[in-house]
Amino acid sequence: MFVCKTVGKLTCGRAPVSGPLSSSVGSVRTTIAKHYNPNFKKLRGQKFIKIDLPDYKELAGGSEGMSTEEMKSRLKERGLLPDRYWPERPFFILSTSMVFEPYVPPEGDGKVSIVTAQGAKQKLELVEKKGRSMLALRKIRNYEEDFSLKVFPDEAQEIYQKAHEAMVNKNRDDLPKYVTEKAYPEVLSNIGDKTIVWEFLGSIEPPRVVHIRCTDVVTKENIFAQITVRFHSQQRLAVYDRFGRLMHGDENLAKDVLEYVVFERPLAHKYGRWRIHDKIIPDWMPPKEPSLKTYVANDEIQDEPEPPSDVAVAPTSPPDKDERTPALATA
Amino acid sequence: MVCAQRRNVTDYVTQVMPEIEQINKKPEKIGKWLSYNLKLYPPTLPGEPDRPAYVCHEKKFLKYSPKKLWYIACFVRGMSIDEALKQLDFINRKGAAFVKETLLEAQELAVEKHNVEFKSNLWIAESNSFKGPVVKGLRRHARMRFGVVEYRYSNYYVRLEEGKPPENYYGRPSREREVLLNEWLDKIKSRKITHSL
Repeated sequence: MFVCKTVGKLTCGRAPVSGPLSSSVGSVRTTIAKHYNPNFKKLRGQKFIKIDLPDYKELAGGSEGMSTEEMKSRLKERGLLPDRYWPERPFFILSTSMVFEPYVPPEGDGKVSIVTAQGAKQKLELVEKKGRSMLALRKIRNYEEDFSLKVFPDEAQEIYQKAHEAMVNKNRDDLPKYVTEKAYPEVLSNIGDKTIVWEFLGSIEPPRVVHIRCTDVVTKENIFAQITVRFHSQQRLAVYDRFGRLMHGDENLAKDVLEYVVFERPLAHKYGRWRIHDKIIPDWMPPKEPSLKTYVANDEIQDEPEPPSDVAVAPTSPPDKDERTPALATA
Repeated sequence: MVCAQRRNVTDYVTQVMPEIEQINKKPEKIGKWLSYNLKLYPPTLPGEPDRPAYVCHEKKFLKYSPKKLWYIACFVRGMSIDEALKQLDFINRKGAAFVKETLLEAQELAVEKHNVEFKSNLWIAESNSFKGPVVKGLRRHARMRFGVVEYRYSNYYVRLEEGKPPENYYGRPSREREVLLNEWLDKIKSRKITHSL
């Protein structure tokens, strides 16, 4: 199949490939089909009418992987002007980009006895925070008169379940009804080629509101409210990869799940609705169960040298006013 | 549908959901071959064997004849990836470099995007070359005549599958000593010697 016709004289030479491909053609060619009289080769070559072969890769792939210099010369060749730089960034006015004054779940889920010093301190903090929550609640009632803390946890649980169902079914049209613009990409990341099996079995403890905060953005009337709800429930979860092989969890195993979910609503917006904004993961939470999938360790990452110790660590910037006036959600 | 109900998945999708479109970027158009990478398989039931992972990859508009590339495409077909990469180094053809590059790219894709754990645990399940666009040029002949020169492009398509390659992909006759000996013995024993006893 790959045997070339041997010509009388054996000459050594490399395969006539240049550029990036040449490195992969390693061995030496021992037989070459060349004419014995090279005198007329050039003249024969001149018989061909030279044409510029189109670069189909460029036509199909566009300018990807092209350096700026190349791009410039290419545009000059064709007498074109480069595209205008259009730094446009969409932002959403119906949600903020962060959780302001996030709830800090008490260590051990607040089960420390009040008699101990730690417990007393916790209780004091709790009372202090509750006062601010009540102020925020009053602000919510200014806009939403029949808002009730008794009804809200059940509403929140329904939103929570619906959001998860939309995620499991990859229903991208329904998801924005239950999830804010900030959480939307977080919910959808990495689930494109997975099959998720999820079931909400029931609450172990009824959901309850633990934290309420309000803040205004840009103008004074533009108020956003965030409510943190504590869910303690039983759920089932299994994640399968593109080929239907189990990656994580177990379909038949019910697990207890403790979650602090932040719901947000733009109060000034007449048709605004409560939506999931974020989850608060406390430091004391036991680490997540690792995925069933194993990876081959990347040597390059492991062997990375540690930064020299004499380099001064840049001081962390002091917390600025962003916490008080959160920016709008950006994409 | 029964399976979907059991699993609490109401509307089961068979296509991988595309990533959220990045700003100022058009969604990429892909051909049929690459669209096989978007197929989503339902979860395997308990007791069922795991589906082997696969990845389809292509390299288009290679400035090379599809007829010449075909030999190399057939050559690597049914080999394990390591064996193919090793063998291609020793083929003095321009196409071998194209094929090697494609295989390396596909191998990387398999590990990064398609849940393959070991990059050596792959074999070339499909490998083919097809015709791309053909540009026509001219060549001068004597007496004001012209001949048409065809500048051909080719496309190369490959599919890597997880697992070990089959023992005898092309169904070639066995070269094992025992088998050859038995074949020969059968032939000798069954021959007919005319006018013998």
